[in-house]
Amino acid sequence: MYQYTSFDAQFVKQRAAQYRDQLERNLAGKLGDEEFRPLRLQNGWYVQRHAPMLRVAVPYGELNSRQIRALARIAREFDRGYAHLTTRQNVQFNWIPLNRSADVMDVLADVGMHGIQTSGNCIRNTTSDCFAGVAPDEIVDPRPYCELLRQWSTLHPEFAFLPRKFKIAVSGALEDRSAIAWHDIGLQLLKNEAGEVGFKVLVGGGMGRTPVIGTVIREFLPWHQILVFIEAIVRVYNRHGRRDNMYKARIKILVKAEGPRFIQDVEEEFLAILNHDVDGDAHLIPQSELDRVSASFVLPEGVAPIESDFEVADDAPVAYKRWLERNVHGHKIAGHRAVTLSLKRLGQAPGDATDEQMERAADLADRYSHGELRVSHDQNLVLPWVRESDLFALWQAARDAGYASPNIGLLTDMINCPGGDFCALANARSIPIAQAISERFDDLDELYDIGDIDLHMSGCINSCGHHHSAHIGILGVDKDGKEWYQVSLGGSDGSRISGDAVPGKVIGPSFAADEVPDVIEAVIETYRGQRAANELFIDTVRRIGLDSFKAAANAARRSTAKAS
Amino acid sequence: MKFIDPHHDRWHTIVGEDGPMVTLSPAPYSLLTLLQWHAVRSRWPVDMPVGVAIGNADEIEDLKPDLPRIALVALNFPKWVDGRAYSQARLLRARFRFTGEVRATGEVLVDMMPLLQRTGFDAVVLRSDQDLETARRALTFFPGHYQGDVQDNRPPFNREAA
Repeated sequence: MYQYTSFDAQFVKQRAAQYRDQLERNLAGKLGDEEFRPLRLQNGWYVQRHAPMLRVAVPYGELNSRQIRALARIAREFDRGYAHLTTRQNVQFNWIPLNRSADVMDVLADVGMHGIQTSGNCIRNTTSDCFAGVAPDEIVDPRPYCELLRQWSTLHPEFAFLPRKFKIAVSGALEDRSAIAWHDIGLQLLKNEAGEVGFKVLVGGGMGRTPVIGTVIREFLPWHQILVFIEAIVRVYNRHGRRDNMYKARIKILVKAEGPRFIQDVEEEFLAILNHDVDGDAHLIPQSELDRVSASFVLPEGVAPIESDFEVADDAPVAYKRWLERNVHGHKIAGHRAVTLSLKRLGQAPGDATDEQMERAADLADRYSHGELRVSHDQNLVLPWVRESDLFALWQAARDAGYASPNIGLLTDMINCPGGDFCALANARSIPIAQAISERFDDLDELYDIGDIDLHMSGCINSCGHHHSAHIGILGVDKDGKEWYQVSLGGSDGSRISGDAVPGKVIGPSFAADEVPDVIEAVIETYRGQRAANELFIDTVRRIGLDSFKAAANAARRSTAKAS
Repeated sequence: MKFIDPHHDRWHTIVGEDGPMVTLSPAPYSLLTLLQWHAVRSRWPVDMPVGVAIGNADEIEDLKPDLPRIALVALNFPKWVDGRAYSQARLLRARFRFTGEVRATGEVLVDMMPLLQRTGFDAVVLRSDQDLETARRALTFFPGHYQGDVQDNRPPFNREAA
């Protein structure tokens, strides 16, 4: 992973010092709460239902064992003993008092971490494929480009106060594991016929109240122009994006409203930078800089192809075989695998890890994965460099640490926001619903029979739980001060099994909290009753349409039966 | 960075009872609205210093032909979290090579200082409750940055080549 230079390390420390100065002025009454707010947000500090929430940046999801140990320490010493992994590959804490926040930033800075631009109306932490650099289907390793984007976007002076937040995702593989079409800018690395590397550039995707799939603005942009092209996009947005209505302020609204003119504006701005600005070529990336950054992303020492003679004994434990099937993934280096540590298990909120579990994850990473971990978009941890010969030992250790639920990609591997239990924005709780669904579907045979399926849940329309892109989406809504849940079907994040990115369709009026597990079960039973041989849930939904699912869901209504 | 004391500022706006006056006589160090400037630009004396205040929604490009005659451009922050003026300042400097004063007005807070300086502002009128020492300190935290800016056009990775 990327190795901090002395400049990077110093920069993060100075950011922590700057934050401490701002916090002290706030606590001394010299900087009002309203004016402190945007400053603390751009360092990851929200004020939530119970206490401030801290969102720590994990650039494109890469962590080392030292860093996750620091996160464990923060959970233990400053929080209530746990943290939460997010869909944008970041890590959140929920119970840290604001007056200790500057101390936490110092602890983070010591391990090269921070909360820079994890919130606020700025360019957020760039996300990518959790299997970057190891995936067998990779065209180009996205990590060096992500790192170049991280550096360019960090404290960019012109783009700190955009109309609204701005998210960039990068994929470098055949399979899109980063939901790029759902981002303000989605980048797909590819090679042209001459073998040159470039980006397909999408712009204006987003969730929220108005789900929009990104528009392709360039089919092939030479890689070295990427910073200038993004500068052009963000400048057009900064100047012309709406600021009168927060709900219409994302770039997707500008792209929709302007249509082809938006693309023309961006292309003109791009040319104007290159042709007219003082040193307009200054942010074209030279090969030497790509090489410098790429040097951080070579194979870890000792990782080399080994002859693959991996076999599973017939009498191996069933649980181990299942784990191999679901949690162990292909690797581009022979004799190696990537392994998902599942953070989806009964008794804990999806994506949550205790300080002890984080310590154990660090141990597993040190022992089996060259000290490296990834945070996945699906809120799990990934060990990217596991030898096949270590798999059985790793399975045993992961099981002991509570990480071996063999459910990756299955119904209980759901994406979930923290919801109304923590989040001040949420209309409804999501954790108890997730728990109820996990309890309902706790039979592994049944889960395997249902097969691959994306269930995502958001506690409000801000869509942190990505309900729009789910095969089954659940959205918490508030009516008359009570919690209700809207269910949608047929969405896609753009992955291979899900097809082109598309928002799901709502299947009728919202349901009461206690009806949701029954509704999900009714929907699943409809699928099992109507599926063709080997047909996935999403394919059945597309083939037969929503009517029979709607009917089954409505039949599961109890308290809402009269209302609907 | 020049910190402007509004009580000792040689620049003055031309305001009548109903807002900016459209009919006005050229006077040195007038800070005009874009509308006022357009009304008088053809008869403004060549050596008489003039400033123009641009709104966030105004197209900064419209001012380009007149920039050699203009000594000061004032950009506005209606709210301090509205970042449009940063782009305007950057365009004035990097694209139009404006060498006069670029002044930040409106809700200008001390914590904006690094952004203002790096996008090309060289003068600020701080909101009246802001502390000058804190503003100066805000400029000292970072010895360097990842990306080029108006002060130093090139990012670290392209400086050697320059």
